[in-house]
Amino acid sequence: MEKVIELNKISFSYADIKAIDDISIEVGTGVFGLLGPNGAGKTTLLKVILGFLTPQSGLGRVLGFDITSSRKAVRKRIWYMPETECLIPGIDAVTFTAYLGELSGMPRQEAIKRAHEVLYYVGLEESRYRNVETYSAGMQQRLKLAQALVHDPKLLLLDEPTSGMDPTGRKEMLGLIKDITRKGSMNIIISSHLLPDIEHTCEKVIILNKGTVISEELIANLSQDNFNLFELKFKGNSEGFLKRLKAIRCRVESSDRGKYMVMLPADHSPGVLFKIAREEKVQIRHFRQSRTSLEDTFMNAVEIANGN
Amino acid sequence: MGIREKGYYSWDGELKPSGIAWLPIFFKGIKSTFKKKFAKSLFAFAAMPFFVFLIAVYVSTKPELKMLTRLVSLLKDDAAFFHVFYTNGLISFIMLLLCVFIGAELISGDLKFNALPLYFSRPLDKTDYIFGKYSILLFYLLTFTLVPGILLVIFKVIFTGRLSLDLSLLLAIIFFPVFISLFLASLTLMISALSSNRKFVWISIFLIYIFSNALGEMLRSIFKDPHFMLFSIQTNIMQAGSFFFSTGARVSVAPWISVLILSILSLFMIVVLMKRIAKSEA
Repeated sequence: MEKVIELNKISFSYADIKAIDDISIEVGTGVFGLLGPNGAGKTTLLKVILGFLTPQSGLGRVLGFDITSSRKAVRKRIWYMPETECLIPGIDAVTFTAYLGELSGMPRQEAIKRAHEVLYYVGLEESRYRNVETYSAGMQQRLKLAQALVHDPKLLLLDEPTSGMDPTGRKEMLGLIKDITRKGSMNIIISSHLLPDIEHTCEKVIILNKGTVISEELIANLSQDNFNLFELKFKGNSEGFLKRLKAIRCRVESSDRGKYMVMLPADHSPGVLFKIAREEKVQIRHFRQSRTSLEDTFMNAVEIANGN
Repeated sequence: MGIREKGYYSWDGELKPSGIAWLPIFFKGIKSTFKKKFAKSLFAFAAMPFFVFLIAVYVSTKPELKMLTRLVSLLKDDAAFFHVFYTNGLISFIMLLLCVFIGAELISGDLKFNALPLYFSRPLDKTDYIFGKYSILLFYLLTFTLVPGILLVIFKVIFTGRLSLDLSLLLAIIFFPVFISLFLASLTLMISALSSNRKFVWISIFLIYIFSNALGEMLRSIFKDPHFMLFSIQTNIMQAGSFFFSTGARVSVAPWISVLILSILSLFMIVVLMKRIAKSEA
């Protein structure tokens, strides 16, 4: 597998606060998701990859270039779509997109031609001559994607790409990301707190918590292999029953109308739930296997990492 | 078939090898400034001193207008003539206006709209970014100082039919406006990098310039010591002109001190600017 990103024991601290701690990851080609609760170190990790921040220890390579000594070479081949609103004031979308293409090293005429194409692609064809400051939040997200695509980077870092978009816009944006990965030779890392976005677009996910990688798996594996999700309703000694479930590493969440969502580790068969219920004199009145979502996996991984 | 219907397709062109990374910033800045409201009026106004001094050059080279030359002693002395051309009140005001009109929002606008991540995720570093911004302001400042200065030399040669200026004066005509423009550009860009509020930047540039002059005058009046005039930016610019053109100092203080003061201030402002941009880059 071709390595797009290789990080080896990378650490970075803001004064006394360790933002990322001894992170070692290898990211191959394709679409990767970066997940983690607030303060997990996702943005810091992206900034280290881009060379905005110099790690205090460790080594890193992006597309074969060292992230500390070859920053310009790295930035020439990758593009970052920041989460925050960011614009260059006083220009229209075509000038904005072409200008950023030129800054990446595109010849001027080609940058202008490509700017029209990518603006058309992201659905901003009719408003491409409007001043970018007048764009709505959703249009700005599309514009950020357009300027990210203009020079066809080898690696695209998308930070919350659907932030501020309405459901239709969000669906379209995810569709565009899928289309890009299907048709182009681009590798993408998506950092998002919207887990369905990751599930919809990514092949693999890296879960971060408190500056460390707690899980790195194929989405398909994460959803199926680690645990099974069951929906339960029961009557009887709930305290003892739930305590016993936790003892066998089940994560239990109460849901609506007396329902419980039980995440049973994959090494246990569902029969164990009935066995414990019998021993604790609990009547199971509703039992259904649920599809595990990435959110469940994510919460489970974070809780395990936190020692809960 | 368009990209929308066909779906995404890769760009098959070649990126240019790394050259002068800040050139697109320069070209875009020049174009955007020219498109601004009132830009053409301001530039027409900024060209006025050139035409006034062009008439003076013509007068100084025509024997039949000797009477005027006798009346205006400045016309006899080339060094004093160019010193006055570069440091007169009108040109100082024009340079200040250009700094405010062009330079104030060069960085503050980017800070306001959070544009720096867009720049720094391209193959640019903070030096390229700052160079790009300097180049825009310097271009316009030099267009209305250095370029008219050189044109005046050319017209003098045309009117007299010979090059009567010595090399040191020619060098002063070239390097003095560059030195002053660098100082004013550093001041403007530093203030522009300190705030995302354009109006705050405008007011600060004017206030610093006017307040420094008022402070210098006030302290000199109180303590009766000309050295206090070195608090004034305008006085320092005039004194530096005296140094470059080897003309009499405006205040009785060695002119090289002003060159030193302006150089140290420029360096200090560049350091502040670099630190501020480095902080934003991270």
